[in-house]
Order: sequence, then structure tokens, then C-alpha cells
Amino acid sequence: MNGIGKWVSRVILWLFLLIIAFFTVFPVLMTILGSFKSNLELASGATIWPKEWHFSNYAEAWKQANFSTYTWNSLFVSVASTVGTLIVASMAGYVMDRRNFIGKRFFVVMQASTMFISIGAVVLRPQFELMVDLRLNQSLWGVVFILISAHATTFFILMGFFKAIPRDVDEAAMIDGCSFMGIYWRMILPLLKPGLGVTALFAFRTAWNEYILPLVFTMNTPKLQTLTVGLTNLRYGSGAAMQTHLMMAGACLSMLPILVVYFFANRSFMQVTAGSVKG
Amino acid sequence: MKWRVHIENYGFLLPSFLLTAVLGIYPIFWAMRYMFYDYKGYGDMIYIGFDNFTRLWGDELFWEAVRNTIVYAGGKIVITIPLSLIIAVILDRGLKGRNFLRALYFMPTVISTAVIAVVFFIIFNSYNGLLNQFLTKNRLVSSAIDWLGPDYAMLTVIILAVWGAIGNYMLLFLAGLQSIPGDLYESAEIDGASPFQKFWKITVPMLGPVMQMIIMLAITVSLKGYESIMVLTEGGPIGKTEVMYLYVYKLLFPVSTGSAMIQEIGYGSAVGFATAIIVGVITGFYFMLSRRLNRIY
Repeated sequence: MNGIGKWVSRVILWLFLLIIAFFTVFPVLMTILGSFKSNLELASGATIWPKEWHFSNYAEAWKQANFSTYTWNSLFVSVASTVGTLIVASMAGYVMDRRNFIGKRFFVVMQASTMFISIGAVVLRPQFELMVDLRLNQSLWGVVFILISAHATTFFILMGFFKAIPRDVDEAAMIDGCSFMGIYWRMILPLLKPGLGVTALFAFRTAWNEYILPLVFTMNTPKLQTLTVGLTNLRYGSGAAMQTHLMMAGACLSMLPILVVYFFANRSFMQVTAGSVKG
Repeated sequence: MKWRVHIENYGFLLPSFLLTAVLGIYPIFWAMRYMFYDYKGYGDMIYIGFDNFTRLWGDELFWEAVRNTIVYAGGKIVITIPLSLIIAVILDRGLKGRNFLRALYFMPTVISTAVIAVVFFIIFNSYNGLLNQFLTKNRLVSSAIDWLGPDYAMLTVIILAVWGAIGNYMLLFLAGLQSIPGDLYESAEIDGASPFQKFWKITVPMLGPVMQMIIMLAITVSLKGYESIMVLTEGGPIGKTEVMYLYVYKLLFPVSTGSAMIQEIGYGSAVGFATAIIVGVITGFYFMLSRRLNRIY
């Protein structure tokens, strides 16, 4: 190919990449910048950069619009369900990888089936009734348990990491008189750290971003609502007097923590997604 | 000694088994029972056999939702797959800043769909949305475009879906591209193949099996998605963006969406089941079709 043709194709290529990049960043950028604008400017300003920086939007969202409660609830649900998912999935993965017993195949089929069968929001109804029976509907523990129950993906990812830990480790520890539980806790879990880290990111992201589940469970208990639920309520409650500045500040509060995590750990996030193709 | 081993094995498996069985499997059987009943969530449960399914057959709202779902999923896939494949192919070559761009394009996948749907609502709002403000102030359009109105709502919803999906499929394609041996390209280059020839004659055929899997994933995911639509348009206006699983949701929890529908647990379960079967049939149909396509190579 001649010089000019190569140059033109390079320009087109970069233009394409930049347009997609702009499309990707635009909504996030508008949220961050918009969270500092006044409601009036958002409603009619047609500006990109805020005319005046209204840091008070955050104070207002935090105090008046209850975003302090929402943030705390989101944090509780995310941390509790992440820890729970890791414990439950790693325990199951450990015996599934190291031991032979009746029902192994059945267990794998059961886990896989939960990933593929979806009848939509119908399942939330019996789940809710169960939580009422267990008296867990007045707290966020019901939401946490349901999030933990969806640990099939974590389980299958961890299975891959278990295979990479040599069995000699178990045997050496056993000869030294370590119990099955002791081997899991003192030998396997520390060696599983890379896998646990990656799956923790995923479990945390899923819980932090979850919307329908906490929405259904906290419909009548505003005190328990998470960031996603509290934020969308502002949108439903919108009418003539839409509080756009609060919605923007709230959206930022919900986005920024996960974006900060992503900034430091984007390689781990991508590793799992890419791994699902390689098998 | 033997008992000890059994207790260890099943004891370690128990938390996972219990949670999956009680909160994952049981609700499905629960719904399988209720779909034969007339039950509104209060009052009596009346066994009505297959009446819910005959009602479903004549339910215009449901079939409208099925059509919308196909348009929505089709639109999303037709835009997302080629775009993300092109991005992946470009980034696969040693481009300066490729790691940065890859991380940037993948970023939407970590953001909550509900939250970004609120942001899209503010941007695309027809009355005073940011996009219309820019378009009208800069005289790009004569009057504000009704992005969330009957004509454009589906397009807006698809744009939102594409926004969230491109990065994910780009990454899947990138992983697939790495499995293509580099010497194929080298020998093609020696034979004087152009970049386009290399793309159509090597990349696409070699990507066949991965592509089949990725498109299958895209089909199931897009047929199931309803969260972002629920927040952005609530299925409206006049049911233009109502999709199957959103309809199921509204039948079970009508209060939260502010829709005028009545809670119908029994009928909702039947619709949920029918929807799962439709998704399964479409996926299976695609699988058979794509297997035949694969044989060409």
C-alpha cells in the first residue's frame, strides 16, 4: 500500500476509535459534571462545563435525599454477600475438586441449571414469602442470602483455580496432622487468593449494581433501600419539579466507588470475562 | 473413619446445596404449580388447569411484548456484534494505547444498568433533556426530538443497551482472536493479501466457533434484559418498549412500576414459563442454524 493510502486508513481507524470512546465516556462525564450544576442549569443551560460549581448538591443528596442511608445499605449488602459468596462457593469447590463421592454430577448439573433457566421476576415472589417466614424481610439479610444463593458463576470460576493448586499441598499438610478443615482454611484459601480476589470483584459489582431484587424487597421499607433503588425512586417521583441535580449527584455516588475499584483492578475484571471464552 | 469423610464431604457442600435448592430451584417449582391457578396474591387460589395458557394465547399485550423483544434484541445484536468485532480486530494489532482503550471501552460493564438508565433518562428526556437542549440551541434540529416518545423510544432503549454491551463483547472477541495462530496472517501477507482479505478469509472463518458461542450468549442475554427498559421508559409509551420479562415483572409486582396492571401471580407464572420456553426455542433454533453455517468452513 502506498504512503497516502496508509495515512488515510490510519486517520479513519483512529476517528472510529475516538468516536466509540466518546460515546462510551459521554454519559459518565455528563453525570460527573452535571452533579455540580444547579437544577436550573441542568434543565435549560445546554452547557457541558458547570457555570458555577455547586458542591452543595452532594451535601443535599447526602442529608435531605437520604443518600447516606442508601450508601450504607448498598455497602452492607455488597460486603456481606461478597464474603458469603466466597465462603460458600470455595467450600463447595474444595470438596468438588479434591474428593470423590456420590452425587457430584448431580451437584454440577444443579449449579449449571440455575445459570441457564430463567423465568424472570416470578422467582422473587416465593423468595419473598420464604424471607417473610424466616422473618428476614425486615432487614437486608434476605437480599444478602438471595444474592449468595446465585453463586454458580463464582463456583465454576473457582473450580478452575482449584485445579491449579497441586494436590501435594493437601498431602503434605495431612501427613503433618492437619485436618480437612485445617487444610482448607490454612493451606488452600491462602493459595486461592488470586481466584478469590477476582471473584470477589465480580460478586461485589453484582451486588452493588443489583436493582430489581432490593427494589422488590424494600418497596415498603424506605430505610432499607440501596443506592440503585433510592436513585430510581427520584426518577419515578419526577414530575414537573424534577430534582435533576440530586439525581446526578446520587448517580455519581453510586458510580464512583465501583469506578475507583475498576481503575485499580480493570485487569482482573477483564481477566474473568476473557477467560469465559478460552474455557 | 469412613463416616468422618462423608460428613466432611457433604458438610462442605451443604451451604451451597441448601442455598441453591431453596432459593434457586424451589422458586421454579413454585411457579410451575401456580401457573395452573387463578391467584391474585390475596384471597382464594382457584385451580383452573390450562386456562392461563389459553388466555396467554389470546393476550395481545404479551404478543406485542414478544415482537418488541425480538426488535430490541435484534437491534442490539446487529449493532453490538459488528462494532465490537471491529474494535477487537483493531485493538488486537499492536496499537499504541491499546490497553488504555480496552479498559475504557470495557468500563460500562461495571456500571449499574439501573443507574445509567437514570442518566440516559436525563440526557434523552424529551421535555428538557440534555441532548435536546444541545440540538435545539445549536440549531441542529428545528424542534425537540421526542426521544422517549412512541417513535424513538425503542431506538433510545437500544442505544442504551449497545452502550452497556460493546465493551463486553469486544473483550470476548479479543480473547477469541488470540487463539488464531499468527503465522496464518504472515503467510497471507507473503501472498499479498490486503487487510480486508485477511479479515474475511482468515479472521472471520477462524473465529467461527467462538463467534457462534458469543452470538448465542448475546441472544440469550438480550432476550432476558429488562432492567434498563424498566427504569428508562417503564415499557412505554403506549407499550412500545414493553419486553417479555418486563411484562412478567409487571404482572407480579405492578405497584412498583406505577402501571395500571393488576397483580396476577398465577397468570404471571404462566407468562414467565412461556417466556423461558420462547427464549429456549429461539436459542435452540439459532444453535441449529449456526451449526449448519459452521459446516461451510
